[in-house]
Amino acid sequence: MSKLKYYLIIIFLGVVTLPVGAQKQTPPPGGKPKDFVLPAKKVSQLKNGLKSTMVQYGSIPKVTVNLIIKTGNVNEGPNEVWLADLTGDMMKEGTITMDFKTISRKVAAMGGEINIGVGGDQTNVSGSVLSEFAPELIKIMADVVMNPALPSSEIDRLKSDLKRQLSVQKSQPQSQAIESFNSIIYKGHPYGRTFPTQAMLDSYTIDMVKGFYEKNFGAKRAVIYVVGKFDEAAAQKSIDESFNAWKEGPEPNFPPVTPTKSSEISMIDRSDAPQTTIILGLPTITPQHADYVALQVTNSLLGGSFSSRITSNIRENKGYTYSPFSSIQNHKNTSVWYEQADVTSEHTGAALQEIAKEVKTLQNEPPPKAELEGIQNYMAGVFVLQNSTPGGIITQLNFIDFHGLSDSYLTDRVKNIYGVTPEKVSAMAKEHFKYEDMTLVLVGDKKLLQKQIKAHEEAKKVR
Amino acid sequence: MKKIYASVSHKLLCLVMAWGIFACSGDQTKVADNSFSVPVEYYKLKNGLKVVLSQDKTAPTVTVAVYYNIGFRIEPKDRTGFAHLFEHMMFQGSQNLGKMEFIKLVQQNGGTLNGSTRFDFTNYYEVMPAHKLETALWAEADRMKGLDITQENLTNQQGVVKNEVKVNVLNQPYGGFPWLDMPQYANVNWFNAHNFYGDLADLDSANLEDVNNFFKTYYAPNNAALVVVGDFETEQAKKWITQYFETIPSATLPALPDISEPKQQSEKRNIKEDKLANKPAIAIAYKMPQRNTPEYYAMGLIDQILLQGQDSKLFGKLVQEKGYTGNVSGGINYLGNMFNYNGPMLWMANLIYDASVNADSIISVFDSAIGELSTVSQEDTELAIVKLRSDFYSTLGGTGVGRADLLASFALFDDDPSRINTLENEFRKITPEVIKKTADEYLRPSNRTILIVDPKAAEQ
Repeated sequence: MSKLKYYLIIIFLGVVTLPVGAQKQTPPPGGKPKDFVLPAKKVSQLKNGLKSTMVQYGSIPKVTVNLIIKTGNVNEGPNEVWLADLTGDMMKEGTITMDFKTISRKVAAMGGEINIGVGGDQTNVSGSVLSEFAPELIKIMADVVMNPALPSSEIDRLKSDLKRQLSVQKSQPQSQAIESFNSIIYKGHPYGRTFPTQAMLDSYTIDMVKGFYEKNFGAKRAVIYVVGKFDEAAAQKSIDESFNAWKEGPEPNFPPVTPTKSSEISMIDRSDAPQTTIILGLPTITPQHADYVALQVTNSLLGGSFSSRITSNIRENKGYTYSPFSSIQNHKNTSVWYEQADVTSEHTGAALQEIAKEVKTLQNEPPPKAELEGIQNYMAGVFVLQNSTPGGIITQLNFIDFHGLSDSYLTDRVKNIYGVTPEKVSAMAKEHFKYEDMTLVLVGDKKLLQKQIKAHEEAKKVR
Repeated sequence: MKKIYASVSHKLLCLVMAWGIFACSGDQTKVADNSFSVPVEYYKLKNGLKVVLSQDKTAPTVTVAVYYNIGFRIEPKDRTGFAHLFEHMMFQGSQNLGKMEFIKLVQQNGGTLNGSTRFDFTNYYEVMPAHKLETALWAEADRMKGLDITQENLTNQQGVVKNEVKVNVLNQPYGGFPWLDMPQYANVNWFNAHNFYGDLADLDSANLEDVNNFFKTYYAPNNAALVVVGDFETEQAKKWITQYFETIPSATLPALPDISEPKQQSEKRNIKEDKLANKPAIAIAYKMPQRNTPEYYAMGLIDQILLQGQDSKLFGKLVQEKGYTGNVSGGINYLGNMFNYNGPMLWMANLIYDASVNADSIISVFDSAIGELSTVSQEDTELAIVKLRSDFYSTLGGTGVGRADLLASFALFDDDPSRINTLENEFRKITPEVIKKTADEYLRPSNRTILIVDPKAAEQ
């Protein structure tokens, strides 16, 4: 059609130009901040130990319910990796009175479905439905966790699904990198075991699933969150009635953990890979520590936001990578910080040197006040956003419950973010981001990497 | 633990990874008990810019979204991937904001931002603290006025985008499968069938003249919609919008090329070798009826019945009964939802399975599930509508981005954002008979394309 024609025509329209010597305008600063208060929560506890937290939020007629149980991969033995996942999958198959199909159809008629997500430390039974169904959803969730059928007829199929998933995940460079990183930092601890072997999955029996369930599920480990627009009294009544008979079960059990600080280099060969997946990091302080907010601010400024120094450098200046980011990952009583990036293979060494330079610069010199304020504004804004959806609110509340923090972690958060000084950021960088102490994982083409690795050794000497 | 690091299969062509506030599903509002109606105020500026305002004072935040009516479908033929590369250029400098300054302005004022390129639009949005609305409007207007891109910045973003393609496609098992691959196999019209991410060589060839021409052609106010959702005062917002946007000159827009697809006459089957994958995978795609027809709405319900949720027929058969896979994904428009596109589209499903299973066994399950639509009941359609409505509410109730997306799409494509409040009625009109007729006409084998991934990596 006329496609070619107009394309030729517009070439002659010329170039977007700026008036020579034009004065740049300053952005309008905006008005006065509106008040932000955390949505109010209503907390109660049953005799068996189950805690409940309800928050009325929003104008949309939906409700989100999460039943979070403090068990997960952390309660697996060395030869039981993903047994928690298999248990979660089996629990989804139905209860002693309702099969999978019946539950699925019932919850679909409420506008949702029940999922069971198994994580390192927690198992999350979740659903989001139209408001009027909150009591009924709570009742079904209670049945799922209290009376699972754990049908032996389904175990082989679910094991096959896990085996397939394992195979796929182990073919992804990012998964390979995280597995290696965890295995170095958390050697000998469940947190260090990301993946099972196929043989391990084969060995799991219905008795092992039942055993894991019996040992790890119960009211003392559980908190139910109900957030959205819903009838509070009806939801509370449903919680009381549905969970009343749940066994107390065990106290949460998190085996003691001592992460390893090691400057080990792990190289995983991925022949002819066009990129290297880099993970570079080390153990750090936990959310209970007085300096944790300062650590988060330092992370945001260094690599944890789009306008951060490392991202500005290796992405927006050098173009080495699309997706660099740094983050703090928490488990119970232990945390790690790491920077992750997939960089063009030939720039692996150069990217590491730039990261080292950014760390060193921050250690040597406190950041300009304006830069820090920008990061603080960003974090304060993100905090509001994190508390502006039902799922986000649950994440926040679960965070303080899981790490045993008081409400002030949330209520004083904005104040604490702004309390961090440039000098503190630099001190945090010195204490917690020593490049020479970091574990380095590289997944990429080994014949190229061996040449690039010298750059890492040199980066350690950057002053 | 396994679910946390599940995959990096980004289906969106984005400026940045994983800010995680995209809404990609949706449908419905209801005028009954527990209903929810979206406030919509719609008008146009003198220069043709479409403006939609939707107040929501749930949180002290505001979403500003600018949607340009240019998607990757109609990018220049010798510049595959250019629409998306250009999206990156919109962050590289404008008249008053240099490189990184736009991003810093938003973040340092407590906001988040992103942009993405889709079939029929390119979007840019910020979610800001409510009192920063004026700042965001000024910044969006500034880059709508014109860009100031250097060769250095273009070269830098060519590097970034090539790395984006590598991390999401070239160095990833199942990279590009099926979201990027399937349109190339199923469609025959170049506009629908080219590589939207771009050949690396085409990305390398892009020059500043391309950037300037593309901007002049498509980034005009009369080819865009501005949507503001959240906590704002209407009169004040309107004043700022007029102040900052109305002086931007409109442009003469090029005629749209013919993007239609001919009716498919026979089934297509293709095999794609994947040297990084170790399990086979299959995708099955059917050409969709034209947008906004009864058959189109019927496909929305069929999608719910066959594919969405654990109660769906395909989940029941493929996952629960046969155990061929642990999960079936799919829907209408893998780069969004059934509302935010404007041209030929596919309804598609995909899954990963074991080499011991024959692909034909999976295809025959599809045929049997589709066959069951001949006995679909009124109760089944009611259930589908409840699921749609619930999804839709979640889209509306997020941080504002999902609501802005629907309003912008309906403004751009239908000149009628208030459609957001009448959709459920359109679905309600669909009888089981229309569903049967639609299944017969569109879910026939001769209207489908099958793509199978042949895995060449060793099992792990």
